[in-house]
Amino acid sequence: MSSCGSLAATMPQVNTIKPQPRLTLQSQLDELARLWPWIEALTAEYAIPAGTQFAIQLCLEEAISNIIRHGYRGQPDHPITVDYAMPAGTDELVFTVADQAPAFDPLAPSAVKETPAATSIDQLQVGGQGIRLLRKFAGSLAYQRLPGGNRLTIGFALPR
Amino acid sequence: MQISTEELAGDVTKVALDGRMDIQGAAAVDLKMNIIAGSSKKLLIDLEKVSFLGSMGLRSIVLPARAVNSRGGKVVLYAPTEMVESVLKTAGIDSLLPIHHDLATAIAALQ
Repeated sequence: MSSCGSLAATMPQVNTIKPQPRLTLQSQLDELARLWPWIEALTAEYAIPAGTQFAIQLCLEEAISNIIRHGYRGQPDHPITVDYAMPAGTDELVFTVADQAPAFDPLAPSAVKETPAATSIDQLQVGGQGIRLLRKFAGSLAYQRLPGGNRLTIGFALPR
Repeated sequence: MQISTEELAGDVTKVALDGRMDIQGAAAVDLKMNIIAGSSKKLLIDLEKVSFLGSMGLRSIVLPARAVNSRGGKVVLYAPTEMVESVLKTAGIDSLLPIHHDLATAIAALQ
C-alpha cells in the first residue's frame, strides 16, 4: 500500500467527501439488475429524496443500456464503470459512467432524432426515448471522449 | 414486479402493475401484458403501484397498447405517481394514451 501516495498524486484531482466505490458492469442488459441495490445503498448514505433516487436510477439505467445496445452493439463482456463523487463545496452528487466503446456522444443534437410528435400510437417510437429521458431527468450532463472510450458525467443536486 | 387483472363493468379489463418497471420488471410482465392485450378491447392499465418506470418499462406499456388499438380497442393509463407521469409525458405517451387519476373517469374514457 506504500505506493498509494504516489498513485494518488498522478490521479485527476477530484475532491470527495467519501472514497469512490466503483460499480463495474459487463455489457449485458441483465447486469443492470446490480444497479438498483447500489443506488439504494447510496440513498441511505446520502439521504437522497425519493424523487432524486428515481431520477438517478432512470438516468443510469438509460445511459448504461444505451452503452450496451449502441456503444458495444450488444456484444457481451465489455466493461462499464460507474463511479460517484460529491465534489467538495457542492451539493451535487455526480456519477461518472465510463466505457471502452467507439465514440458516442448522447448530448450531440444528432443523438435524438427530432421526429414530429406522434399522432397515433403506431407512430410512437418505442426506442430512442432513453436519451430524451436522460436529458430531462439529469440535473447536469457532460460528455467527454476519452482516448479509448467515452465518459458521461451525470449530476443530481441534493437538498442541503 | 407483480401483475394482476380484474374484469370491471362495461367490459373493461383492469391490469394492475405493482413494482419497479425497470429492465427486469419489464421482462417479468411482458408476456402477460401481451396475452392480456390480445384479448381485451377496453384496457385500463393501473400504474398506481408502479414505483419506477424506465424506457424498457415504457415499451412494455406501449407495445400492448398498440396491439389493443390495432384491433379497434382503447387503452387508458390510471393513477401514475408524479415521477412516473413525468416519464410518460417526456416520452410523449400521454397524448396518445390518456392519463386519468379518477377511476370513474378512466372507465368512462374507455366507453
